[in-house]
Amino acid sequence: MHATRRLNALRSETLGRLAALVLGLLVAAAAAHADETCQSPYMPKLSGQEDYIYVWTLGVEGWGDGSDKVVSVGANPARPDYGKIVHSVSVGGRHEAHHGGLTDDRRHYWVGGLDTSQIYIFDIATDPARPKLVKTIDDFVEKSGGVVGPHGFYALPGRMLIPSLSNDVDKGGKTAIVEYSNEGEYVRTTWMPEEAPYGYDARVNAHLNRMLTSSFTGHANYMRPLAELMGDAEAMKNFGNEVVVWDFHARKPLQVLTVPGAPLEIRWALNPIHEYAFIEAALTGELWGVFRKPEDGTFEAVKVGDIGPREEQPLLAVDISLSADDTTLFVDTFMDGKVRVYDVSDPRNARQIYEKKIGSQVNMVSQSWDGKRVYFTSSLLANWDGTGHDDEQFLKAYDWNGKELIERFAIDFREKKIGRPHIMRFGQIGFHTGERPAAEEGAVAAR
Amino acid sequence: MKALTATIAIAIGIGVGAGLCLAVAARAHEAHRHGGTGPPPRFEAPAPGSYVLPPIARIEEHVLLDSKGEAASLPGLGEGAVAFVSFVYLSCGEACPLATASLADLDGRIAGDEATAGRVELVTVSFDPERDTPEAMARLRAGLHPKGRWRFLTAESTDAVAPVLRDFGQDAVLLRGPDGDFTGELRHVLKVFLLDDQGRVRNVYSTGFLDPRLLLNDAKTLLMEPPPGS
Repeated sequence: MHATRRLNALRSETLGRLAALVLGLLVAAAAAHADETCQSPYMPKLSGQEDYIYVWTLGVEGWGDGSDKVVSVGANPARPDYGKIVHSVSVGGRHEAHHGGLTDDRRHYWVGGLDTSQIYIFDIATDPARPKLVKTIDDFVEKSGGVVGPHGFYALPGRMLIPSLSNDVDKGGKTAIVEYSNEGEYVRTTWMPEEAPYGYDARVNAHLNRMLTSSFTGHANYMRPLAELMGDAEAMKNFGNEVVVWDFHARKPLQVLTVPGAPLEIRWALNPIHEYAFIEAALTGELWGVFRKPEDGTFEAVKVGDIGPREEQPLLAVDISLSADDTTLFVDTFMDGKVRVYDVSDPRNARQIYEKKIGSQVNMVSQSWDGKRVYFTSSLLANWDGTGHDDEQFLKAYDWNGKELIERFAIDFREKKIGRPHIMRFGQIGFHTGERPAAEEGAVAAR
Repeated sequence: MKALTATIAIAIGIGVGAGLCLAVAARAHEAHRHGGTGPPPRFEAPAPGSYVLPPIARIEEHVLLDSKGEAASLPGLGEGAVAFVSFVYLSCGEACPLATASLADLDGRIAGDEATAGRVELVTVSFDPERDTPEAMARLRAGLHPKGRWRFLTAESTDAVAPVLRDFGQDAVLLRGPDGDFTGELRHVLKVFLLDDQGRVRNVYSTGFLDPRLLLNDAKTLLMEPPPGS
């Protein structure tokens, strides 16, 4: 009798665990592809209303302390700090502040300088409104074996993947992908293949165990004034025209695909059954797709659309943002300061559905997970901003209703003498404590 | 197998709005794969020894409690052994069951492969020791029927497990409701850690990486390495 009760209890427990397992699988997997649509899939998602935008900002000589800084901007319309600068932390000096990214637990914000190869790690968990600088990596070049220009910061489990731009031998485009632990300790360097030496972005599709990397140019080029560079035909040859397909787990290149004209930002489709990624080619103004071929699992690169009129190129297509449902792609062109929105429901035939001028120049675009809010910043590189047109510097916030962008607020970084705003990442009150005011929309969701 | 598939289908049917059905079904398909019972994966795991797993961090020795309530060291690995360490809490309804299911799959693969049998250990550690007593961990162990060495550890208290979590870099936060009371849930990112016999973390896996084939080949890759100093 006792044995029967135990058996029944065990059966009951096993069935309960099975149900929990199934639900757990569903929820955990749904959270796997996550965050504000273009972040690492290895990061918990921030759903609902973001409270802060962390803007990595280039310092400008004569503007305030002149240093690069992380600026927190209030982004929740239900809060009194909405549309206002909440906090600012200078790192001291100008390093060509560029990109940044959050760790896999969203506790830290890593930002890098393309000129000095300095990396700064901010704690954004302890006080989401006030990021705190907790570590500086000032030996990146030495530790990595000569890599220069840490560009991307892409969360992996327990690590940060850092696709870079250059090297310390000739400051050209030959470069590598560097990995650090979340604690800021060097792990390894993987050099780009000889036939495709340039670097820029690196994005992983865990479902396929494939990583794509794209290609820009080296320190010698990206630190030159834009007009001077574009007038130097020889220097203009030193841009990448390749996208590399990698076996991610083994960190080994499998294919080199040709995508002419500096293919930059890579966005894998978020739905696992969509086995493709979008990439914009900056110099040619073309939108490309990289598609997995079902017959053999290899990939092909296909042009899927134009970005702006042919006769106006190069407009410098600089950033893209894909909606969570894989149907809508925002594309920023720096030179005309416009965003173009594409219907990419048919991924091989991108169809422009909207266009809006954001400012005299525009660079980064980030959207909320629900696609209702879209943010833009203006700065590309210190020596590339404001050449041939006004040098507006701003963060602008819009609502997107599926048909048009409606401006909600703008912060003039020039008028406030803050700097040149570049990459944006989102933060939320209570994300790391579970404590969130009940009246505020958008309770934390990911576990 | 059929029951699991049917249960997933039912869960999708009753739990998901129409607009999200396709995406969730696809992710369920992916999750099902990670559970080890689904259709063929979309890639072949790279062969053991064809790649390297550089050290990421080093873990200090910690003393916890095993499922008998006795002191147990972590990592505590013998020479030439490797371990997968997973942090869970038993009332977790989301990521933890995925981690445990993946380890259960891996347990069978390890036991059935002469290259790994007896040389690869699994360790499940609770980060909710106040509720996950040794007795509770023992019940979990009994329900899983491990084929190989699989330890289930907890601690005397939340304070006792905190240094372990810090050392591994495993986040875990008690979620509190608007009234400030503990909701019974913890926020954490699902992570499984691969350790070598020197206590070094050689890989970290989260939802997207938690493929038992990759884990098995990673363990084999470490076991193929020459001993230190050779």
